[in-house]
Amino acid sequence: MRRKLLILMVSCTMVLALAAPLFAAGCDEAEPEKEVIVFGAARPLTGPFAVYEEMAFGPIYKMWVDEVNARGGLYIEEYGKRLPIELKIYDDGSDMGTMTSMLERLILEDEVDFILPPASTAFLFAAAPIANKHGYILMGAEGGGTTLTPLLPSLPYYFGVLNYSDHYQMPVLADILSDAGIETAAIMYLEDLHGVEYSGVAGIELTNAGIDIVMTKSVPLGVMDVSSIINQAKTLGAEAFLSFCYPDENFLAIGTAIALDYNPDVFLTGPGANFAFFAGVFGPAAEGIMGYGAWNTKSSAASEDFYEKFIALYDPGLLDWWGHNLYYAGLQFFEQAIEEAGTLDQAVIREVMATSTFDTILGPTWFDMTADGEGGGLLAEECYTGQVGQWQNGVFEVVDPGANRTAPPVIPKPAWPAEE
Amino acid sequence: MNSVASIVLNRSFQLGLLAVILIALATLPLHYQGYNIVRLLNIFMFVVLTVSWVIFSGSTGYMSLASAAFFGVGIYTSALLGDKLPIAVVVGIGALVSSCVAFLVGALTLRLRGIYFAIFTFGLVELIKHLTLWWEINMEDRRGRLVVYVENDIIFWVMLSILVATLLTAYFIRRSKWGLALQSIGENEEAAAHMGINVTLVKVITFAVSALFVGASGAIIATRWTYIDPGIAFNPLYSFMPVLMAIFGGMGRLLGPVIGAIAFTYLKEELGTEFPELYMLIFGIILIVAILYMPNGLVGLIQRLWIRGFRRQDADT
Repeated sequence: MRRKLLILMVSCTMVLALAAPLFAAGCDEAEPEKEVIVFGAARPLTGPFAVYEEMAFGPIYKMWVDEVNARGGLYIEEYGKRLPIELKIYDDGSDMGTMTSMLERLILEDEVDFILPPASTAFLFAAAPIANKHGYILMGAEGGGTTLTPLLPSLPYYFGVLNYSDHYQMPVLADILSDAGIETAAIMYLEDLHGVEYSGVAGIELTNAGIDIVMTKSVPLGVMDVSSIINQAKTLGAEAFLSFCYPDENFLAIGTAIALDYNPDVFLTGPGANFAFFAGVFGPAAEGIMGYGAWNTKSSAASEDFYEKFIALYDPGLLDWWGHNLYYAGLQFFEQAIEEAGTLDQAVIREVMATSTFDTILGPTWFDMTADGEGGGLLAEECYTGQVGQWQNGVFEVVDPGANRTAPPVIPKPAWPAEE
Repeated sequence: MNSVASIVLNRSFQLGLLAVILIALATLPLHYQGYNIVRLLNIFMFVVLTVSWVIFSGSTGYMSLASAAFFGVGIYTSALLGDKLPIAVVVGIGALVSSCVAFLVGALTLRLRGIYFAIFTFGLVELIKHLTLWWEINMEDRRGRLVVYVENDIIFWVMLSILVATLLTAYFIRRSKWGLALQSIGENEEAAAHMGINVTLVKVITFAVSALFVGASGAIIATRWTYIDPGIAFNPLYSFMPVLMAIFGGMGRLLGPVIGAIAFTYLKEELGTEFPELYMLIFGIILIVAILYMPNGLVGLIQRLWIRGFRRQDADT
C-alpha cells in the first residue's frame, strides 16, 4: 500500500516538474528594454573536439566580442543605441546529440539574438538545417566541405567562410605543382570525412593538370606506423607527397619521411602545418613543407594588425595561418551587416549579407550566393588571401599563383636537415 | 485522509491518471512548439535506452555495453532508408535490424559471463563502427551520410510511442513467467537450468527484444542529427549512459530506471548549460555519492526515507 502510494507520488512530482516550465513559459512578463545582444553557441568545451575551442574559432570569437564591447557594443538603429554583446556558451561535450539539442535550446528557450557555429565540419552540417529552420543566420567557422555544397541552395541562412578541397585549395595546388613541372604524386589520407574528401578532389584536380597519382593509401585514425606507406612512395619515386590527415598523422608522416630519408620535391600536409607552433616543433625540418591556408603578415596591413592584436592576447603558437583571418573576417562582416540592417531581425540582416560587400581584414568581402541569391553562400574566391602555404625561413608564405602570392614556391623543397 | 488515500490507491484511478498523463504528453505538440518538446524527447530517448538495458541486464546480471551498437544500427537504418520510406516504416526496420544483430550476437556470446560479456559487448560497438567505416570508405567512397529531416513533432510522437511500447514490454515481462525465469538466471543460472528453464533461449530472446527499442529510438533520433558518420552513430557514450542512469535510479523496480533516466538527463543538461566549465566535475561527484550512499538508487533512497517517515509517525501516535 505504502509502496503504491510512493510510486504514485513520485510520478505526480515528475509530471509537475516537467509541466512547470510549460506554464511558466505561458505567462511571459512585459518585454524589458533591450540592454544586451546575446550570441549563443554550443561549443566543445570538453571531449575530443575541445582543441577546436582552444585553438581554432574559440580565441577568435572571444577576441571579437571583447573588441566590439570595448567600442560600447553594436549600434542598432531600431533601439537608437549601442548594445554590448553577451556570450552564452554551452558545452556540447563533442557529442552530436547534445549539440543539436543545445542549439535548439539556445534558439527556442533562451531566445538568443544570434548564434555562433559549432565546431567541426560534421557538426556544422548538422547545425545548418536547424539554424535555417528557425531563421537564424549561421556564419560558419571551422568546417566546410563538398558534402554540404549540394544542400546550400536550401540553406539561405548559411554563410561559409573557410576554404576547403574544391573551394579552392586543390585546384590551386594542382596549378602550383604543374607550374613547377611535377609529374608524379603520392597520396596518404585519413579514413575520415576530411581525408576522403581531399584525396578524392586532389585525385581529380591533379590528374586534370597532367600529374600522375602513383599511390593512394588510407590510414586509420590514430595510426602509429606509416613507414610502409612512406617506403612505397619512396620506391615509386613520387615527386610530391600529399598527406591529407590530421596533425597527429601528418606529424608522424613527416617524422617517418625524415627517418627513411624520403625527401620529395613537394611535401604537403593537411591540418597541422598551418599552425604557428609547427615551425617551433619541427625547426629546420619545417622548411619547404606546404599546408592549407594561407595568409601571413605580408598579405595586407590589416593582416599585420590582426596578427599584432592576436599575439597580444594569446600564445603566438596558437595562431592558425589557415582559418583565423577568415573566422575573424566572417565576424567583422556579420557585425557590419547587423549595424547596416539597424535591426535584430535576422531575415533583414540575411538580405543585407547576401547582397552587400563590407570591408574586413580580407579587404572588400562578399559572399557568392546560390540559387539566384535565395540560397546559402560561400565566401567569394576573390576574397581569400591564399589557398596553399609553404614554410620558408620560418614564415608561412602564400605560394598561390597570382596576386595573393607573398613568395614564389620553393620546389624542390630543401633537403631534410642532417641528423645531429 | 484515509479516504483520500483509498481513492489515490484505487487501481482504476491510477490507470486513469496514467491515461491523462499520456494524453497530455501526446497532445503537447499541438499547442506548444518550444524547447520543452526537444527536452522531453531527449528524456524519452534516454528512458527507452535505460529501460531496454534493464529489461535484459537488470534482471539477468549480464552487464551489456552494446546499447551504442544497436543504437548506431538504428541510426544507419535511418540514414540509408530515411528518404525512401515513410519514417514509421524506417523506425520499424531499424528496430528489427537491431534486434536481429542482437539475436546473432547473443546466440554467439551469451555463454560468456561477467566481465567477459561486458568487454565483448563493448568491443562489439567498436567492431561495428570500424566495419561500417571500412565499408563506407572502400565500397561507397564516402565517410558520412546526410539523414532526412523530420519535424520535431513527428519525432516527439514516434519517440513517445517507442517509450510506451518499451514500458509496456518491461512491465509485462516483469509480471510474467518469463520475467521470473530471467530473475532466476540472475540469481543462479545453474539452478535455473536445472529447474528446466532453457536459459540460453531465454537470454538470447530477451537480449534481442531489448535491442528492438534501442534500434527504433536510434532510427528516429538520427533525423534530428541531419549528418552522421560512424564515429557519431556508434558513440560509446550511448553504451555507458543507460548503465549509469539505471544505477542512479535503482534497478529494483520499473520506476527506478525511469526516474534515473529522467533525473540524469535533466541534471546533465541543466549542469551543462549553467556550469559549462564545471559540470563534469559536479556530475562526477554526484555519481560517486550516488554509488556510495544510494546502493538502491534514487528510488531506493526515497523509499527508505518514506518508510522512516512512516515509522516516526507510528511512534508519535
